[in-house]
Amino acid sequence: MKLVSKPLFWWLGVLLCLKVDAAPAPSSGVEGTNVVRQELAQAILSNGAEQQELLDKLADTGSTLASDVLDAWTMQEVYLYVAPDGSSVPVMLESQQDAEGRSRAIRIDDGQFLKDATGKELRFGESDLNPASTDMRLRRAIQHALDMLALSDPDPDARYAAVDKLGNSQNESYILLLQGRLAKEKNAQVKKGIKEAIATLQLGDTNPAVQMAAVKQLATLNSIGSLDNLNQLAANTNNSPQLAKAIQSAIGSINDHIWWVNFYGTIFHGISLGSVLLLVALGLAITFGLMGIINMAHGEMIAVGAYTTYVIQNIFGSGFGFNITLPFSIMGKPIAFGLNLPGLNATGWFYQSYFLFAIPLSFLTAALVGLLLERTIIQFLYRRPLESLLATWGVSLALQQIFRMVFGANNVQVNSPNWLLGHYTVDDVSFDYNRIFVIGFVILIVIGTWLLLAKTRLGLLIRAVMQNRSMASCMGVRTTRVNMLTFAFGSGLAGLAGAFLSQIGNVGPSMGQTYIVDSFMTVVVGGVGNIIGTVYSALGIGTADQVLQQLTGSPVTGKIVVLVCIILFLQWKPSGLFTIRSRSLD
Amino acid sequence: MKKLLKLTTLAIALAAIAIRGQAQDTVKVGVLHSLSGTMAISETSLRDMLLFAFDQINAAGGIKVGDKMYKIEPVVVDGASNWPLFAEKAKELLEQDHVAVVFGCWTSVSRKSVLPVFEKDDGLLFYPVQFEGEEQSENVVYTAEAVNQQAIPAVDYLLAQGVKKFYLLGTDYVYPRTTNLILYKYLLAHGVSPEDIGGGFDKDDSGKVISAGKYVPFGYTDFQQIVADIKQFAAGGDACVINTINGDSNVPFFKEIVAAGLTPDECPIVSFSLAEDELRSIPTKNLVGELGCWSYFMSLKTPENKDFLAKWNAWLQTEDYPGVVKEHRVVDSPMELSYDGVYLWKEAVEKAGSFDVDAVRKVLDSGDISFDGPSGKITVQPNQYTTKNVYIGTTLANGQFEIIKQFPQVVGEPWMLKKLDTELAAQGK
Amino acid sequence: MWRKSTKIELIAVTAAAVIIIIILPCLNAYTAAGSWLHISDFSINVYGKYLCYAMLAISVDLLWGYTGLLSLGQALFFSLGGYMMGMYLMRMIGSLGQYHEPIPDFLVFLGWSNLPYVWKPFSSFAFAMLMAVLLPGLLSGIFGYLAFRSRIRGVYFSILTQALTYAACLLFFRNSLLMGGNNGFTDFKFILGHNLDSSATQRGLYICSGVALLLVYLFCKWLTTTKFGKIQRAIRDSENRVLFSGYSTANFKLFVFVLAALIASLGGLLYVPQVGIINPSEMEPARSLEAVMWVAVGGRGTLVGPILGAFLVNALKSWATRAYPDLWLLFLGGMFILVTLFMPKGVIGLPAQLAALKKKFIARKASLAKTVESNPPPAAEKTLVKPE
Repeated sequence: MKLVSKPLFWWLGVLLCLKVDAAPAPSSGVEGTNVVRQELAQAILSNGAEQQELLDKLADTGSTLASDVLDAWTMQEVYLYVAPDGSSVPVMLESQQDAEGRSRAIRIDDGQFLKDATGKELRFGESDLNPASTDMRLRRAIQHALDMLALSDPDPDARYAAVDKLGNSQNESYILLLQGRLAKEKNAQVKKGIKEAIATLQLGDTNPAVQMAAVKQLATLNSIGSLDNLNQLAANTNNSPQLAKAIQSAIGSINDHIWWVNFYGTIFHGISLGSVLLLVALGLAITFGLMGIINMAHGEMIAVGAYTTYVIQNIFGSGFGFNITLPFSIMGKPIAFGLNLPGLNATGWFYQSYFLFAIPLSFLTAALVGLLLERTIIQFLYRRPLESLLATWGVSLALQQIFRMVFGANNVQVNSPNWLLGHYTVDDVSFDYNRIFVIGFVILIVIGTWLLLAKTRLGLLIRAVMQNRSMASCMGVRTTRVNMLTFAFGSGLAGLAGAFLSQIGNVGPSMGQTYIVDSFMTVVVGGVGNIIGTVYSALGIGTADQVLQQLTGSPVTGKIVVLVCIILFLQWKPSGLFTIRSRSLD
Repeated sequence: MKKLLKLTTLAIALAAIAIRGQAQDTVKVGVLHSLSGTMAISETSLRDMLLFAFDQINAAGGIKVGDKMYKIEPVVVDGASNWPLFAEKAKELLEQDHVAVVFGCWTSVSRKSVLPVFEKDDGLLFYPVQFEGEEQSENVVYTAEAVNQQAIPAVDYLLAQGVKKFYLLGTDYVYPRTTNLILYKYLLAHGVSPEDIGGGFDKDDSGKVISAGKYVPFGYTDFQQIVADIKQFAAGGDACVINTINGDSNVPFFKEIVAAGLTPDECPIVSFSLAEDELRSIPTKNLVGELGCWSYFMSLKTPENKDFLAKWNAWLQTEDYPGVVKEHRVVDSPMELSYDGVYLWKEAVEKAGSFDVDAVRKVLDSGDISFDGPSGKITVQPNQYTTKNVYIGTTLANGQFEIIKQFPQVVGEPWMLKKLDTELAAQGK
Repeated sequence: MWRKSTKIELIAVTAAAVIIIIILPCLNAYTAAGSWLHISDFSINVYGKYLCYAMLAISVDLLWGYTGLLSLGQALFFSLGGYMMGMYLMRMIGSLGQYHEPIPDFLVFLGWSNLPYVWKPFSSFAFAMLMAVLLPGLLSGIFGYLAFRSRIRGVYFSILTQALTYAACLLFFRNSLLMGGNNGFTDFKFILGHNLDSSATQRGLYICSGVALLLVYLFCKWLTTTKFGKIQRAIRDSENRVLFSGYSTANFKLFVFVLAALIASLGGLLYVPQVGIINPSEMEPARSLEAVMWVAVGGRGTLVGPILGAFLVNALKSWATRAYPDLWLLFLGGMFILVTLFMPKGVIGLPAQLAALKKKFIARKASLAKTVESNPPPAAEKTLVKPE
């Protein structure tokens, strides 16, 4: 045994430990756990009032095992095995599968593997067993039990959600329970939730003093969820006048709070919409502004980026392949070609990191496609801007059809990695992680682009070619090369936009068409030829759109008004917000 | 001399083809769907299913009329998501190709644009996609789900589960508008107060509610504010969302829902335009427990369905029609209803003994034509709607539905708006 | 005075007019179905549609080929004309709709029980025609005035027209506008008392479209020969010089813009009764771009070019959506790219382009030969010849 193998064994050991999964393994059975197991099994098999009683019992146990099993039950992962003698045995399947995709079943009542009469462990595929059925009412009851169990869950979000539901249950027996929990709770957010829940439940108290106190508490906490209950209480005719007044003032203060929440929310939504617009329009600003090329295929560059993300996601997963059959045949055989990439079948953190790989690859793929486009078609169209519009429109049609042929006419599923799911709440205003990520990334991209244009040699050449192509060429600048790189860069930015848009929108062959008109508007309003203008106009248009939507209540009116405003704005400033002054007339 | 030789060979070849063509008796059948454009996402699958059904019938010998067996010859045309083009293609199918029947259309606007053509040329159209039920033409057989075969059973189920508040959300066109109006009236008739119906109202000059719910245009992607609105609406509990958003926009909507952390247990969303096909592009892992209501789910565990799916998958592997995608295929209700439509028509033709539209229509309207399809028994009613099973399902992480309730043999009813108006008037509301 | 090309054009146009307006309808009406001379009702209908598209194409060309203004929103005016005719046709349905109510079907399922005020005057054909002139005219007038006054040119103008048509499209998709929303107007029954289903009415509409196209063509032809036409072309070639010469180019451009809108509207209002449906997707930016493509393929800067382009591209589309439904977009896209890159004058200019190429080829051959002649082989030959 050499020195090398010692660490090797150590690493192997670590890996083996990591591979152990969280499925309930056969336990040695502590006395309490056994009782819980029996109750669980009974609860699954029974129904009606008896089931409810058992679920209540389980809720009081505070057992994490009960949590796990009940959770699995709601996800249809608890199955019923019909034994040869006709009795049903509730089981769960372990996650490890053998070569034929079957796994062993773990009995819920005693935690052992299910064995047949001879003592051999039985194996089942997923479709061999019927899941223990749940209807909505049962799921609510299970969820309720889970909520009670979740009161002591380590995750504060779960505790908050549980507290919230208990508060809305209108069951006053929870008040003591919640008050007990309040003393032990450390997380500020959950504490607020508990106070709200207690106050909401106290609204139903017969003692008017308690009710009054509860109403005042709700007003102080600005509890939005209690509005319905307050309205209900207000409709009660035998309230004392002080109580009625207190209720009205509470409702008023909560409505004010809602107004402020919507205000800040709208501003955040406006910035996030603006950042999406900016992302989409930046590439266009470069190709259009710096080169005078109207690229109607810009939307398809976005789609290229989004599809690249999809392909990367699949490569990290189970692989990607496509097959195209053309309706033409050579010598009797139809022309068909395809591609098949095996998947990495990654799991866990490696799989979730696919998005980080997808971002630079989307940029590269779109840049390459843009390069190809430039070399074959665009380079002939530099002095003819209107023709570039038409030719690139043709390219856009062709690309859309190619997407349909390769990926299918349907939209494809691109999942967000779970570090982008979720949101951050401040005082009822929620900030989604993926939106924050987009905003952050867009800031980076804008700074990067500005650095490229202002501080690098390539940027200098680009600006020179933009200002006066022939003079730059006379000075020895290789204009063809600069054109190629600029167009590729602009297309690459579109690809990046596509990668992000795949997280918040859909990915399909005609996804580019949704964004093309908006990106043109942004670029034109911002002033062709500079980045700062595009930034301002994107943020302005995004915020205006969201504010109008909030004011008018209709999603479309806002957009129409924004478009009309753009048309009118261009009367006042025909060349956009920030223009490049030059001595030429046009 | 060379030229003469070439011409003679060509003539002989053509004659041979003509003769060969005559040896087989065929009947032309039209397929009118959008194979490009925005609706291609949904409609290409219907074309694929129809080709499968035709191949099945031809493999079993064809359609028996008189004492001859006729093979089906499909004429597939592309409406390109362009409604005037649909009308032109419909005319082409009926007046140039003289097809015996047409299976087609998805959106109500495409159906409405071809309806005058079918009525003028007395053609027959089988329409398989859930719709608002405010139409009844003797030239259309509606295998599709009417409102009382989809929206109303779902709402019944929700009411029975204790849901008290309903947020109505849809795309701005006739199907969601009408369905939401019908549901609004239905909820009122069942004791739900207008404050518990969310999304906003449009009233006409006299104050009567003419539209309920929030509407977004096609292809809309920015649901931040709407989801924030829903969150506030559902903050008090016991709320649900009735989602009639069509097509593409569902994806950004559900992505926003997931990001906002609105779980199906807090506020279930029942969607009427989402089936297995659309679920392929939505993050279903985070949406376990949302609801759908159709007259067919791919996860139905009947022997007919298992057999149907096995044959469909086998056909996918062996067929070589251009444009049919082989991987990751699912079957949803509109596809299954297209399939049922083909067999219902076949049965009607065989019973009538002719392809003539009048004769076939007479047989269809007799109420005797039914087919035991993968979703169960489907029967054509005298008003040319169909009676079929209705299922409610919840979404699973793998994009399939788990069936949690079944309504057997629901009779399709058109003109629900009028019916509910009379009912509400009787209740004095 | 009459150049050769003008003579050819005149003969071609007269021949085409006679065939389209007189011969084809006669063949449709007076020959029996099944004989090879018969033109079916379906074909008449399709050709009528193409004639209306040709009018749209001329309106695009009038702006683009002759004035240098690329408008990406002409389909808006086409649709507006169509909508006005559509409103009249909807009123003419009377109580024969699905609901058998005196108001249009879509209003019934939107919950209305009485006709809204906006709809009341449309039972008069004259009013509908007036609106078909006023609405596009006013809209184009206001928009054009604002745009040209601020000297918006070139690409910006195109993008602005795109914004206009997109905003209108969004507006018309809204059901609350009471213009049918996404369903639009359909299920027409009568026009001016004639049943729309009868082949006689369809033939009549076809003849009207043909005559309208002919009149539009003659009018535009005359316009281009006047001083106005010359200024128009001067604006296309160099607007600044025209400005410096003292003309108010904004007014000229405004006039042409409104005129083009009216021509498009005329096309639209003849299109709707033949096609049987109008809905907001006709206003989408993509449809305007299609019209621009017809002009590009046919040949801009001529009047016959757009007509030819409209026919060619739409015929190709009708054929391709049947023959290669999965590939036709590739054909279309590829065709646009090729036309833009290699045939800037379109199909009309193709003979001239080929002739020029041939000339170039011959000239090059000739100059090569000349170079060989004028550069004889080196002096090595001379040494071989020795006077003996």
